[in-house]
Amino acid sequence: MNDALTDPVLIIFILGLAISSYLMIAKNDKKTSMLMISSLSFAVVGIISSAYTYIIHNKMVVQGTTSFCSSEGIVQCGSVIGDPQWNNLFGVPWGIFGIISFSILIFLSLCLYLDRYAKWSEDYLNYAWWAGMAGLPFVALLVIIELTQVEGAPHICPFCTIAHLSLIGYVGSIYFLRIRRNMGKWSDNEE
Amino acid sequence: MARRRKTSAKKGRDDDVRIIAGFVLGSILTVIMLLVVIIAPPATIGPSEGELAPDFSADAYNGVNWQNFKLSDTFDYEWEEGEEGEWILVQFIDTDCPYCWTEGETMSELYSQWSDNVEFITVTVELSINNHNSDRAEVEAFRDKTSYGTDENDGDGCNSGRDNCLNRPGTIHNWNYIEGSSSIMKDWEVTGTPFIAILKPDGYVAWNQYENLQEDIESAMERLVGGSE
Repeated sequence: MNDALTDPVLIIFILGLAISSYLMIAKNDKKTSMLMISSLSFAVVGIISSAYTYIIHNKMVVQGTTSFCSSEGIVQCGSVIGDPQWNNLFGVPWGIFGIISFSILIFLSLCLYLDRYAKWSEDYLNYAWWAGMAGLPFVALLVIIELTQVEGAPHICPFCTIAHLSLIGYVGSIYFLRIRRNMGKWSDNEE
Repeated sequence: MARRRKTSAKKGRDDDVRIIAGFVLGSILTVIMLLVVIIAPPATIGPSEGELAPDFSADAYNGVNWQNFKLSDTFDYEWEEGEEGEWILVQFIDTDCPYCWTEGETMSELYSQWSDNVEFITVTVELSINNHNSDRAEVEAFRDKTSYGTDENDGDGCNSGRDNCLNRPGTIHNWNYIEGSSSIMKDWEVTGTPFIAILKPDGYVAWNQYENLQEDIESAMERLVGGSE
């Protein structure tokens, strides 16, 4: 099996995604709370994986290589995060964009979780939805870059993919939350 | 007396939880950024002396064909100050720039003296000036000193179309000519050509022409690399 896929850090991230996904889809009598925790959990996995890609980026730039991720095979980071032409947007590494973006999502989800009945809660739910949706075209762009543009393409960067899946999962959680809100099931005991 | 309207909607908490959320997020970000700085501090990247040279990946002409070239592949990350190693000279030119035309000879001389200790790299860019059209055929002819254009000032050939590339001063340049781009120029803060930077073997900028207008390139090479043949 590809070394990159057996990386213990990657397995922890996958576990984080699995738990977040379970919280999103599992039936529960506190579904609204579970969805809020799920969105928070996705965003936390996203911010940590983004930071991890930023660490790999810094290692690649300063040392030319890193022990944090494989540089061989199709599933690897070296040719993706190490590609000077595509590993940044206007000179800012993608990892930094991820950290900033998931920070905004964490803030919105945390506010909702702490007080879902606040007068701003509906607005914040909409902000979370639109902020998450705004990130999806960037995910699509980055996947296209991985598959077609980087040196030796196609490649898949596993830690970048974790961040992408975190965003997709986040949007899913917020989507279900919006449905519950629109259906008047905002309280946990309203089924 | 009007009766107070009874509402089923639940009321939010009186305290503004957004401040708490802000503090929690601030704490998470602080921990994350501290870990990043401890595990892999970001390098200062730029063309100034002491900075790590901006990396680029582009097609390069080596005298035979065009192949992908990545600047950082020439870096020796294990190199330490005082050790022997292969330094890197990065030159930016426009094949139609008159100063680059005359610098062709200087580069040939530098190469004959330091080719054993220094990797030479020329990045070709196109300045936004009339008659500055550096297509691949012109770049190849400029490097190889082959016939391209005429010696008439008709816009055809090198040196703003004044000369046939065959007559470029100096000898054939036996090193990689990179197909530059506006983004590489921007990263390297190149505002005009020619421009030269000397990199240490580990890729850090040791000499930037813009910062050393009083020192010519030969003196800089002698001072930094020493040991010319």
